[in-house]
Parts: sequence; C-alpha cells; structure tokens
Amino acid sequence: MSGRFEPMNDSTPHATRGPLDDQLFRLMVESAHDYAIFSLDNAGVVTSWNTGAERLMGWAHADAVGNTADVIFTAEDRAAGVPEQERTQAAKRGRAEDERWQQRKDGTRFWASGLMMRLDEPNAGFVKVLRDRTDAHLANERLRKSEERFRLLATNIPQLVFRSMSDGNRTWPSPQWIEFTGLGVEQSLGFGWLDAIHPEDRGPTLAAWTGAIDRGEYYCEHRLRRRSDGQYRWHQTRARSIGPDEPRDWVGTMTDIHDLRALQERQRVLMAELQHRTRNLLAIVQTIVSRTLRGSDSLQSFELEFSRRLQALSRVQALISGVDYQSLDLRDLLIAELQAHDGRQLNSGRVTLDGPAFPLPAAAAQALGLAFHELVTNAVKYGALAQERGGLAVKWQVDRRDAEQVAKVEWKESGVAMPPGVARRAGYGRELIERALPYQLGAETELQFEPDGVRCSITVTLKSPTNG
Amino acid sequence: MADLADRRILLVEDEYMIAADLASFLERHGASIVGPFKSVASALAALDGEAIDAAVLDINLGGERVYPVADALISRNVPIVFATGYDELLMDRPYLGLPRCSKPIDKAALLQILQRTLNPPGSSS
Repeated sequence: MSGRFEPMNDSTPHATRGPLDDQLFRLMVESAHDYAIFSLDNAGVVTSWNTGAERLMGWAHADAVGNTADVIFTAEDRAAGVPEQERTQAAKRGRAEDERWQQRKDGTRFWASGLMMRLDEPNAGFVKVLRDRTDAHLANERLRKSEERFRLLATNIPQLVFRSMSDGNRTWPSPQWIEFTGLGVEQSLGFGWLDAIHPEDRGPTLAAWTGAIDRGEYYCEHRLRRRSDGQYRWHQTRARSIGPDEPRDWVGTMTDIHDLRALQERQRVLMAELQHRTRNLLAIVQTIVSRTLRGSDSLQSFELEFSRRLQALSRVQALISGVDYQSLDLRDLLIAELQAHDGRQLNSGRVTLDGPAFPLPAAAAQALGLAFHELVTNAVKYGALAQERGGLAVKWQVDRRDAEQVAKVEWKESGVAMPPGVARRAGYGRELIERALPYQLGAETELQFEPDGVRCSITVTLKSPTNG
Repeated sequence: MADLADRRILLVEDEYMIAADLASFLERHGASIVGPFKSVASALAALDGEAIDAAVLDINLGGERVYPVADALISRNVPIVFATGYDELLMDRPYLGLPRCSKPIDKAALLQILQRTLNPPGSSS
C-alpha cells in the first residue's frame, strides 16, 4: 500500500520535517478512516487519495488520482463553478471552508463538512479534508423543521402560547400574547408577564407553579387584561414540560374561557331558578290542599274543588311559560280563566271586559290568576254566570307614573239574586284576595257580597317594565 | 314533647299562603310569630327592637336573596332554619352548614329542628 498517499513535495527541503515526521504524518492520514483526505493540484486534478476518501466516496485510489476532483461536487455546484471558487478562495486566503451536499461515485449524496488548505510551496496545489456529517445534518434539519412547526403552530392557534422554566419564569411569549396583553417580549420575560394578570389573581397564579414540576402539569384559571379595551378576561392556563429530557423546559397555552364561564354561571342561575320555582309550586299546592280540605264537607267536594284549583294553577303556569316568564297581559289572564269555565259566556253579551293593555310580571300573574279563578268559580256556581239575568263587567284603568304603573281592576256582577250563606263559604277565595294579594303584591283589595252580586276591586302598583 | 311556648320566631317568606300556613302551624305549637315578612328590607327593619329566639327563612324572596337577614341574625346569635326551594349545590357557600328544610316543608321536621335548636340537650330549661 506504499505510495497510496504521498506527502507533497517530499523531496523539497522543509524546515522542521524529518523522516520521523513524514512517517507520523503518513500514518495519521492513512488511519483517518472517517476523514476523506486528498490532495489536488492547482487545476483540481487529484494527486493523492487516502483510505478514508475511498470509503467515503467510492472511488478507488487508482480511479481518483490523475483525474479531476470536481466529480465529488453535485452537478448543480459544478455548473455554478463552485469547485473553481473554492480553489480560488483557498489560493487567495490559505483556506476555504464549507458545508454542502457532495456526491459519491454511485451518485448518492452526503452532507460534507469540508476544509481546503493551500499548500505552502508555490504551485503545490491544495489538500482537502472532508467529513461525512449527513446524520448530524439531517438531525439538525429535523430539529429545525420541528422548531419551525412549533413556531408555526404556536403563532397561529387562537391560544396565547408561552415557553417557560418549571417555576413560571418565562422564556418566550407568542405574538398572540403580545397582541392580547400589549406587553412586549422583554416586558413579558422572567416574571414580567404577571403584570397582565389581575392583581387579585397573581398570588394564586404564582402559587400554582409551586409543585407543578412534581405534578408534571401547571393549571390555573385567572383573569388576563386585554389591551384593546382594558377588560380582564378569564383564561385557563395549562403548561407541561417539553419532555422527560428537559424537565425544566415548559410550554403552555392560555385559553380565553370568559364567555364559557359566563354561560356556566348563567346556567347555574337558571338551575337555581328552576329549582326554586318547582319547589315553590309544590309548596303552593301543599297550601291549596290544606285550605281546600278545611273548606270541604266531603272527600267528593274536596276532589272537585282541589282539581279545579290545581287546573287553575297549571293554567296560569302554562300562560306564563308561554310568554317565557316575561309579562302576561291582564286581559289574556282574565279570558283564559273565563274560557276554562265556560267559553260561551264570553260571547253571550253577559260578560264585558274593558281596559287597556296591562303587562303583568310572572309572580303577579300567578297570584292574580288564582284570585280570578276563585271569582269566576263563585260566579259560575252562585253568581252572574249561574243566573239567567246575571251580568259581569270587568273594567280596569291604568295610571302610568314615572317608574310605576297603577292598575285598578273592578269586578262587578249584576242582576244576581245572591243566595244566603255564599259570603261565608268563600274562605279560600276571600283569603287570596284580602290577604295574599296585599301581602305579595302590595295590592289594595276589597271584596263585597252585595245583594245583586259580587263586587271586587283590586289596585296593583307595579314597577314600569324596563326594556330587556 | 318540648314545645315552642313563649318563643318568638321570625318568619320570612314571600308567598302568602306558605307563610300563613307556617305561621299558624308554629302558633299552634305555642310560638309567637314576628312577621311574616316578604322582603329583606321589611325583615331587617323588624330586627331592631324585637326580641327574636329563632328564625325561619325562605332564601329566594321574589328574586332577592335573604342572606343579609341571615347575616344580621347570625351576628345577633339567633339560630336560623332555612325553609327553601334551593338545593345544597345552589346555596351560597357560607350558609351551607346551617339547618335547612326543603320545600314543600315537612312541618314535623321543621318543628324538630326548632326544638332541638332552642332546647339543646343538656340545657337547663
């Protein structure tokens, strides 16, 4: 294998090189299996070619020496004149370094880290050392692409993304964070980001970082100030370490959950309201049972009276839910109650309803509905709607003041021959009108059993409905 | 059976019939009723100058919550029983530990709670 690599200008006297140095040099070059080391003349023709070069590039020593070294460059680089440029630079500056794809004999490519050095003696050419760095290069490339993908992801999702140490010390804020909070990169680093957190939430926010490294996760809900309008909006922040190899390197997201929280709160309130209404309704039914029981002389009369009152209650409930628990008009409430007993009476001319629109809130509608039920029931049984010559006129006026509306409802039956004892019988109805309405609605009421029929006046003062 | 004789019980409930039912039930057991009141303002106004031994409170009073009344009573060391349509989950946290009857009220259970609160075991009366 002698002569495989001949140091250049072996015969030329050299200040420090002796026979021992030559041998050492030869051994080093020959044993450098992982390095392609070859020399070339000023025109780029190979003059020596070591074992490493054979291994790396596939040309045997005999094939390489005497031929141009340009073949190890890719076609593109050759067309671009890269081999000449490299020699020119090495000739001028003594050395030329580069990293690029190079080509083997079989056409495959490898990523090479190369160094070309000019030999000292005039026109002695160059020596070039190449190392195969393909694996490292591909790994770097993968890492670079992965980082790029992370940045792309982190800067394009709606969440605010950050990187931090495991104690909350931030090392990178995403552009969305900067956009949302108005804090710059420098202001956000370290613990500067805390400035955007609501002052009341800063303590819990920091406390949640304590022990995050043991739990392997950071979780916190806190308010974050939005630069555009100064509003503090609820965010959910989660962070995790990037991986087991980097326990101190964390990445996290902050998601706006403000609207979600408002919805949850609204749902909670609705649930509470529903719960309240249902149970209250049952409690009202309970009072109807005990009141009806007290006024009944037999189970038959209890059953009849109770089921009528239950129906009246359910009718009012249906009307209220039909208008989505908003206001219900007084006339609709009266009509529903009269129709439930005998619809024909409404068109017979014996019943007149006269008054302007008057919207009743749900609670008032329920109380008044039950009272009207008692009045109608009495009229159907003993009064104006039971007797040939009877008549019923319901009139109401509404007086609108600044924040209030006062409605005065007059129920007037006429042409009735009042049977004896009716006034005493009307226990529950009388209690509803004379006690419940004043208590619940602050109403002023009066109920009288005149010889020609019942008179009832109810004056209710309600807050004027506000929009929405 | 220990009774509520001479006990003054504050009743806060916005539904008349329910309030009237509870009041007459408690009165039958010897209590005298302070109220009933249907709003926070009227109940708070009655607290001053009234000796009150215990209170039965509805929570939702036509949309407003009874809690200010509860706070005033707690600061006066007056025992409270909530008589409410609210479930535990929907009550404000500070009041969760207090005695509570769900609507519709089981009056016997309410009576028991009141008696236990007013005559704790070991008390001399």
